[in-house]
Amino acid sequence: MTSPGWAWLKGAVGPKENDSRFLVDPHRRDLPGEREMAHYDDRDEVDLLIVGAGAGGSVLAQRLARRGWRIVVLEAGPFWHPDEDWVSDEAGSHKLYWTEKRLIGGSDPVEMGKNNSGRGVGGSMVHYAGYCPRFHPSDFKTFTLDGVGKDWPIDYRELRPHYERVEAELPVAGQSWPWGDPHRYPHSPHPISKAAMVIWRGALACGITMRVGPVGIVNGVFGNRPHCIYRGYCLQGCKVHAKASPFVTHLPDALAHGAEVRARCMAARVELDPAGRRAVGVCYFKEGETKPRTQRAKLVALACYSIETPRLLLNSATSGHSKGLCNNEDQVGRYVMVQGASQTAGRFPEELRTYKGPPPEVSSEDFYETDERRGFARGFSIQTVSPLPIGWAEHVLADGHWGGALREYMRDYNHWTTVGVLNELLPHPDNRVTLADETDQRGLPIARYDHSLGENDKANIEYSTGVIKQILDAAGAQDTLTIRRFAHLIGGARMGTSPADSVVDANQRTWAIPNLYIADGSVCPTQGAANPALTIMALSSRLAEHLASNRWEP
Amino acid sequence: MIDLARPDHLPNLRPDRQPPHPGWLPRQRRGTTPQMIGRYPDFDVFDAENTWDRATRAVVRARLEPPKALRFFSQERQSTLRAFCDVCLAQDSEPRVPVAEMVDDKLAKGELDGYQYADMPDDRETWLQVLEGLDDEARRRGAKNSFAACDAETRKEIVGDFARGRLSGGVWDDLNVPRAWAVCMRMVLSAFYSHPWAWNEIGFGGPAYPRGYMRMGPTSTQEPFERPGASDEDPVEETALSPDGLRTSPSPAAGTDSSGASR
Repeated sequence: MTSPGWAWLKGAVGPKENDSRFLVDPHRRDLPGEREMAHYDDRDEVDLLIVGAGAGGSVLAQRLARRGWRIVVLEAGPFWHPDEDWVSDEAGSHKLYWTEKRLIGGSDPVEMGKNNSGRGVGGSMVHYAGYCPRFHPSDFKTFTLDGVGKDWPIDYRELRPHYERVEAELPVAGQSWPWGDPHRYPHSPHPISKAAMVIWRGALACGITMRVGPVGIVNGVFGNRPHCIYRGYCLQGCKVHAKASPFVTHLPDALAHGAEVRARCMAARVELDPAGRRAVGVCYFKEGETKPRTQRAKLVALACYSIETPRLLLNSATSGHSKGLCNNEDQVGRYVMVQGASQTAGRFPEELRTYKGPPPEVSSEDFYETDERRGFARGFSIQTVSPLPIGWAEHVLADGHWGGALREYMRDYNHWTTVGVLNELLPHPDNRVTLADETDQRGLPIARYDHSLGENDKANIEYSTGVIKQILDAAGAQDTLTIRRFAHLIGGARMGTSPADSVVDANQRTWAIPNLYIADGSVCPTQGAANPALTIMALSSRLAEHLASNRWEP
Repeated sequence: MIDLARPDHLPNLRPDRQPPHPGWLPRQRRGTTPQMIGRYPDFDVFDAENTWDRATRAVVRARLEPPKALRFFSQERQSTLRAFCDVCLAQDSEPRVPVAEMVDDKLAKGELDGYQYADMPDDRETWLQVLEGLDDEARRRGAKNSFAACDAETRKEIVGDFARGRLSGGVWDDLNVPRAWAVCMRMVLSAFYSHPWAWNEIGFGGPAYPRGYMRMGPTSTQEPFERPGASDEDPVEETALSPDGLRTSPSPAAGTDSSGASR
């Protein structure tokens, strides 16, 4: 698949129309753009107000700031100064997570916080592992192909150019990809650790194909961003700036083109005109203030992810929208999905020291598509992970050990390697975000997320957990420990062809309010078995292209 | 005789699912570990401290400060808290990682994890109820007044029943017991394994910025400052070369360590 000519150019061709890599400082990790950033007055009617400075919001801001739009991005968390704020330490990274309370219910509740929720400029991509696979073409029509889930109103082909563009911007490093729509990556694969090599060996013995990557981690140099130093703390915020997050991939360029990122500002509700037909701005609380402010804007885009976007819409209820904004059809907050993310660790005679190198190393999508012989629809992917001590302790605890037994397994840490799965769990209307009776310190009702597994989901999880155990056994594991868990979030304000079963149209515009858009993972009707970050960015890139077309030129 | 290539010490592979007595491990020589139990006798994560960035060093160093007095839990529950933390981590002697103080500090500051099970109270309330429940349970099993006053075996039995969700009656009926166990253990484990002494015990290389890790395999997974697990050394050669227990060069595997036998 890789021609010799292309191989010469690996790592040498940068993205067009995004100078972020040159706009970060080679000697300090703060964004130089923060000091020279534009500041708009609340009364200025800006062209676009984005809520949330994560994967979705940052890409949208960067694209349209380049077009000359006057943009404000509200972010509930802080503007990071990584040299001082981020540490090579698990417990010390608590502030990277969304730790305001959420209630979790249903028969299979999903843990929030460090598991899937970010806070601060850069969003959860600041602490995501780094896996950046694309969705498969089949993910966009699961109902047609397999009779489950929901077809998207758009096709994979519409997203492909944006996948390619975002992969060049992060940049993504990995071997040429044989699954889904076969493609190659702008950066070469990273060398892999011994811990990942053991998994590879086991997979090979089982006849399972593995590939190195794809990870959004610089391999080589990329403008002022240096090579990865393999320190293993990807989930604690990359102090090196080698791992991609919007903080380094899109916001520097957005700031240089006049966007303002207003940190420590928590959106309370979307404000409408007196007729209740158009959004006029967003009411928000600045940290430390009790009186809310309202930023005016011609266009509003919500990018707060699957829990907070529905919460914000539901909290924006008015007399004309009594059930919550865009919720006349009772669709807001429904179909919120997570991925099954069981992990199995195996014990080996030699020291592997799994904490070296990025946790994401090698992965396989051999089981991604439906195979009727397996007895369930859709599939899963396989990815290596490498827990640090606290993560490893949770893994050991999940197998039922505590006290002396737990300490014994913990002391054995360096002999273990871990492989996990990502199951595509199907969308279900009752897996939804609603408002709880409890309020936060600002008086805003908090979110409650109920989640229960369906039969297909359970069969998928069961089968996949067997596969990773088999890989470890084939590699010669002397003992195995399994933890069952969930990861990622997606859905909650899905796109569709009719307001009866969706919140936004194919261009991510809400059916109810013509100048209100949703620009995050909550618009996805299904989730595939791929980590969502790249797709969220690609969707925002596509949305920006749509908005920049003449209709919305400010 | 220690052969770490073999997994015989792992609880799942032993008939009683319990670990061997820590006496099989080598005497800890270099870094401090909880109860001075460890598998990496010549390793100290602080040997590389001069290569850590300032922010990380401040966060890790702060954990070595003398623990502050408890302020979240009332006087009568403090001994219960300490006893519970000791049992779930098998910390039966000094030096101890001050887990009780670390948990108390988090709860007092309200540093919670960002979610609460819909059928459970706030984590702080869960902790208070769990400690009350442990004291009640201890009295039911014949202790004079509290969990801390029980003998070691009874304490272990109670915690074992807690871990399996088998406690009932009194406050336990108001709690989802397995979830209460998860809430408490999440906090206990995150405190204990954030402590550099625990890193010494398990041979974790620790923070690595801006230095990074270099030896990822396949030929070696050991940085120059890291030390091999107890199985890879020859104690006789070791003692002869460096009386202070510091190694000057890695020796090829000998596969045994007899010092464990003397403990």
